[in-house]
Amino acid sequence: MNDPTRWILAPLLAALVFAAQAAPSSLPGADQIVARTLPNGLKIVVWPDHDIPNVAMYTWYRAGSRNERPGITGLSHYFEHMMFNGTTTRPPGDFDRVMEARGGNNNAYTSSDVTVYQNWFPVSATELIFDLESDRMRNLDFDPQVVESERGVVTSERRAVIDNDNFGTLVEQVQATAFIAHPYQIPTIGWPSDIEGWKVEDLKAYYEQYYAPNNAVMLIAGSVDPDEIFRLADKYLAGLEAQAAPPPVTTREPPQLGERRLRIVREAQTPLIAMAWHASAAPDRQSRVMEVLLSILGSGDSSRLHQRLVEKEQAAVQVGTSLDQGFDPGLAWIYAIVPPGFDSAKTERLIDEEIARIAKEGPTVGELAKARNQALAGFWRGLETISGKAQALGDYEVFHGDYRKLFDAPAQYESITADDVRQAAATVLRAGNRTVGVLEPAPTAEPVAENAR
Amino acid sequence: MTALRRIATVAFGVIATSAVAFGATGGGGRDGVKLPPFERVTLDNGVQLVLMPKRDTPMIAMTVLARGGSLADAPGREGTASLLADLTQKGAGSRDAVQFAEAIEGAGGSLSVGAGAESLVASAGFLARDTGLMIELVSDALLRPRLDPGEFEKARTLAIQSIAAAKDADPYPLLGSYGDAWLFRSHPYGRSVDGGEQSLAAVTLDDVRRHYRDQLRGDRLIIAVVGDFDRQDVAARLAAAFGSLPKADAAAPVVQAAPRVEGRRVLLVDKPGATQTYFWLGNVGASRTDPERTAQSVVNTVFGGRFTSMLNTELRIKSGLTYGARSSFDRLSQPGAFGITSFTTTDTTTQAIDLALATLDRLHADGLDDATLQSARTYLQGQFPPTIETNGQLAGRLVELLFHGLGRDDVDEFAARVAAVDGPAVRAVIDRSFPRSKDLAVVLIGDAARIRDAARKLGPVTEMKITDPRFAPL
Repeated sequence: MNDPTRWILAPLLAALVFAAQAAPSSLPGADQIVARTLPNGLKIVVWPDHDIPNVAMYTWYRAGSRNERPGITGLSHYFEHMMFNGTTTRPPGDFDRVMEARGGNNNAYTSSDVTVYQNWFPVSATELIFDLESDRMRNLDFDPQVVESERGVVTSERRAVIDNDNFGTLVEQVQATAFIAHPYQIPTIGWPSDIEGWKVEDLKAYYEQYYAPNNAVMLIAGSVDPDEIFRLADKYLAGLEAQAAPPPVTTREPPQLGERRLRIVREAQTPLIAMAWHASAAPDRQSRVMEVLLSILGSGDSSRLHQRLVEKEQAAVQVGTSLDQGFDPGLAWIYAIVPPGFDSAKTERLIDEEIARIAKEGPTVGELAKARNQALAGFWRGLETISGKAQALGDYEVFHGDYRKLFDAPAQYESITADDVRQAAATVLRAGNRTVGVLEPAPTAEPVAENAR
Repeated sequence: MTALRRIATVAFGVIATSAVAFGATGGGGRDGVKLPPFERVTLDNGVQLVLMPKRDTPMIAMTVLARGGSLADAPGREGTASLLADLTQKGAGSRDAVQFAEAIEGAGGSLSVGAGAESLVASAGFLARDTGLMIELVSDALLRPRLDPGEFEKARTLAIQSIAAAKDADPYPLLGSYGDAWLFRSHPYGRSVDGGEQSLAAVTLDDVRRHYRDQLRGDRLIIAVVGDFDRQDVAARLAAAFGSLPKADAAAPVVQAAPRVEGRRVLLVDKPGATQTYFWLGNVGASRTDPERTAQSVVNTVFGGRFTSMLNTELRIKSGLTYGARSSFDRLSQPGAFGITSFTTTDTTTQAIDLALATLDRLHADGLDDATLQSARTYLQGQFPPTIETNGQLAGRLVELLFHGLGRDDVDEFAARVAAVDGPAVRAVIDRSFPRSKDLAVVLIGDAARIRDAARKLGPVTEMKITDPRFAPL
């Protein structure tokens, strides 16, 4: 049986896949993708795939913690919970009960940029799912009792993924420190006092502003006939009223003027390091280059950081990289778990040495080819499932402006040179552009590795 | 179990989901989704091959299961099989550790080898054009690992440190390790598959070599290949790669069913400063081949296997005490654990656990009404097809079926079996397979100073620290 209850968090890298050599014509069913925009602005993209008799329906709203402000941090994520909690026509709990009784399952996630609702169901339940989605897009209700109960759920979630998880704690602090102006500083789960403080009026205003058809995109992959999908869309979704576009996020993070550092001391056995540099927005070519750079540095056992830190020097238990890719320039991350009792400053120095080396010499021909092949295989793996197809369509439609750009990624990738990668290392991974967070064990904690021997 | 080794698949940016990720854990499509056609071959040395050509993407997947696993670990040397799994990729055949990693990653492939309680499993996924390379790498890893002393020392140290790191992270993934240890105790299913810090420190390279020599043999292997390939070509390559492996001299480890726990016993794992209590309530459950497994899955769906389950409704939806509560059967050759898991703020520890216990009592008292039974049947059927969607899922399913002596009807007839689960079948498995609340092994991970009284209310308490270098109390 698989790992249970895992709301935990796949790295963004896994969600964003790029191809080196895949051509659209070689993607099964890719030539059958059909898109239509309803008069109210809701765009629907359908990818027929009859491999299994099921359907994945993903609805993306351009609303995330980036759209929040002090006082309502975490509201996007909390709102996501409320989307399951009752409408004026269906009592709290009915959404899930009705969907499950017809064989469907659902989930949702929120990021800094978007909120995404996922339904997975047998094709026989398709009309019911349209009915349920349109109902909560139109008639959401905010029962005060449910609002309070759901606060407890979110508090529990925050304690699990942030407060009782040393890595969660460190990443939250680094992100909040790296941005001084842009709302990417806001943790998506929200600050505790805001989780306790927001009001029903805040939720209602948020619903009006962001949950309009013209602020959403629906991606459907699976054993469906596009004509039937559009018939259901006309019946259930065309009546939703468009709203004025939400206010744009206009703040730009000013250039960072020098390295920022923070240190957390708490109960722990293993020190942790998280470094974050200001990078680029999802559609920028520079983000493709950063993907290649971070892949060469930290993706897989043959990567430079793994070989140096984990295999050669035993200065890390694990090392990895990640890249934020959203509407606005996000962060590029390198993180390490340091062995118990080891000096984290030394681990940090080794990371710096590897960055300096690639900034000076660039990648080898072999490393560049490897990064391309990994991307190509990742691309195919991502499209192996109907869920993966719905996710990939959403990534490209929302962050790149057009789902068809999914098929341009191979060419973009091919165009990246060794010098692009070297320059990205030199210009982005600079000390003056980064925030370094270190979590150190409180002095009382005994390193277990020593006990064990 | 690999949760211990993969701590920092950390989320940057994406926070979480509303609904806990409940997927169906058994079941069959309502429309009766079937396994695609496959072919079976047994080599002279006992290696079982399953070939399933499937040409919808230019990818190929291969899974190799080697009977044995941590059941073959010597007492006090838990983690031996797991270290062997780690070492298979640290130099094999003509490649040292770096060259081996570069061969996989350079081709954009993936290859992981992990130990389970009863087997070692290697799973590979490559582009179809690299089929030959994949078979070479997998067979090198399993048949020609170098088992180099320097790599062994590193792997062992890393395994120990990874457990320390996991104990600093969200403790939820550790509940199963503590739960199995506390429930099964000296029974082989009580061993931590990945070992504990102390047992890993005692494992020697000779232990690993012995495990390799005794277990990784022809008559222990089941190999499945699924994807875009030429049947004759791959059959010939597999026969050449695996056909000369000798049969095992040593006996395969066997295990008897463990007795159920009677009464309560409580393990309190102290994590000072924790602001939540993570709890596990369990007893011996059911095996993979239990004739009543379908009815058990139906009942578990209702009790703790989906978002609107009785447990999640009480602990999350109605009371807001937790982000999620669920239950599951760990199905092995013999009955593994049935466990209820959740977590709650320290102050509501007693309230949440009492509610979980009361919900278990309600299952026994009230059973399932007809509408709920029908809903659970439809849910299991509807959520099944995506579990056999990818090449990797299919390869994993094929070796698992053969390992347990099951046929394709386990998949193909599932929808029909689910449809046939009726009221009497439901009542029978509630009585037989779901524990009574008075008979439970209980694990609590939290701030002991603040929850010790709550623990004592549940039964006699044994206490340990989360930093103790093992998953069972001394």
